[in-house]
Amino acid sequence: MDYGYYPGCSLTGSAHKLDKGIRKVFEKQGHTLKEIPDWNCCGAFEYGNRNELADFSKKNLEKAKGLFSEIIAPCPACYKNLKEADEKREFAVTHPMDLFDDAFFSSMKQARDLKGQVFTPYYGCILLRPKETSIKNDTVMEEAITRFGGEVAGETVKDKCCGGNQVFINKFVTEKLSLLVLEKSQGTIVVFCPLCHMAMKTFSGPRKVVYFTDLLLYIMGETSAL
Amino acid sequence: MQTTDRALELTGYQRQDFSVCLGCKICASVCTVNDLSFNSNPQDILQRLFLGREIAAEEPLVRFCTGCYRCTGACPWNIRIPEVVRALRETLSTESPFEKAFKASLQIWGRVYEPYVLMRAVPFLLKGGYIKHMSRWMEYMGFHLPHKVKRT
Ligand code: SF4
Ligand code: SF4
Repeated sequence: MDYGYYPGCSLTGSAHKLDKGIRKVFEKQGHTLKEIPDWNCCGAFEYGNRNELADFSKKNLEKAKGLFSEIIAPCPACYKNLKEADEKREFAVTHPMDLFDDAFFSSMKQARDLKGQVFTPYYGCILLRPKETSIKNDTVMEEAITRFGGEVAGETVKDKCCGGNQVFINKFVTEKLSLLVLEKSQGTIVVFCPLCHMAMKTFSGPRKVVYFTDLLLYIMGETSAL
Repeated sequence: MQTTDRALELTGYQRQDFSVCLGCKICASVCTVNDLSFNSNPQDILQRLFLGREIAAEEPLVRFCTGCYRCTGACPWNIRIPEVVRALRETLSTESPFEKAFKASLQIWGRVYEPYVLMRAVPFLLKGGYIKHMSRWMEYMGFHLPHKVKRT
């Protein structure tokens, strides 16, 4: 299937690994991602004026008009902004997590399992809240990990806040909140959000932090190590 | 106009929208700011907005709200407190130099171009003790040209 694709700013920079991962996973499943031409920033969480913020995403939807009916947006902030701006529901604004279902996992080419490895699936905030824009299945990462033989830990912190939003405002907030998550989790931290990734990476010391797409590609045998 | 009224206007909420608040303080019991050892009570902020009282930029909630929507998720009325806080920050002009650089990048490129944002915020990053994290960030940040430059 052909999807419209909204990578958003961080996926062109600090989260380029997530961008490559998503593209690869989709390609492996026989889907094509086509970028919305000349897309602009969604404004993230930076604008107090609701209309000003929505206008950024409305512009993006305007650019997608006539080209796509379904738009994939991996960054949780972009996804939320885009979905909320689509007031008349002219598009299906979809988070990739909502495409990772049973059928997806069974059609996945499995080259490796996760036996003997422990993972903390960490969702953070915006994938799960507010409920109007949350992903459908809040245990999708757990299901994938156990399905492929891995062990799940850290259930109590999966929806805690990493404080990523404050990293360049009040760093101690992010440090304290991320450490709380890190302390109560075990093994490799699996994230999806670029901001969670950054917060966890910055304060994780020797702990391993990977994107969920890294994990999928590892299982598919596309990468040799996590 | 009072800053609180202006903030409300930005959110699209009306004062009376908060009259439904039950005062149950479930929002306060789940608020992430409490994990930082500050007392946080989002309900108090809403009540003051409802009564038309001023709110100071120094309030822990105004400063440290992470936009986690835990309060909204738990509130019987799904009141979007982080969006109220975001609007308060805007009317109280509490943007950090990094946030200013973020917005400046959007003005120039229509996107966040991270090298530009980081360069513009260098004094802030130096002062805020961010430099020690640079080597970590370099592990996963890729350098790229701004998209408009790349295309020509
Ligand atoms: S969004 Fe802000 S006010 Fe609401 S729970 Fe999170 S930190 Fe507290
Ligand atoms: S949870 Fe909602 S209804 Fe209860 S005090 Fe907080 S804002 Fe008011």
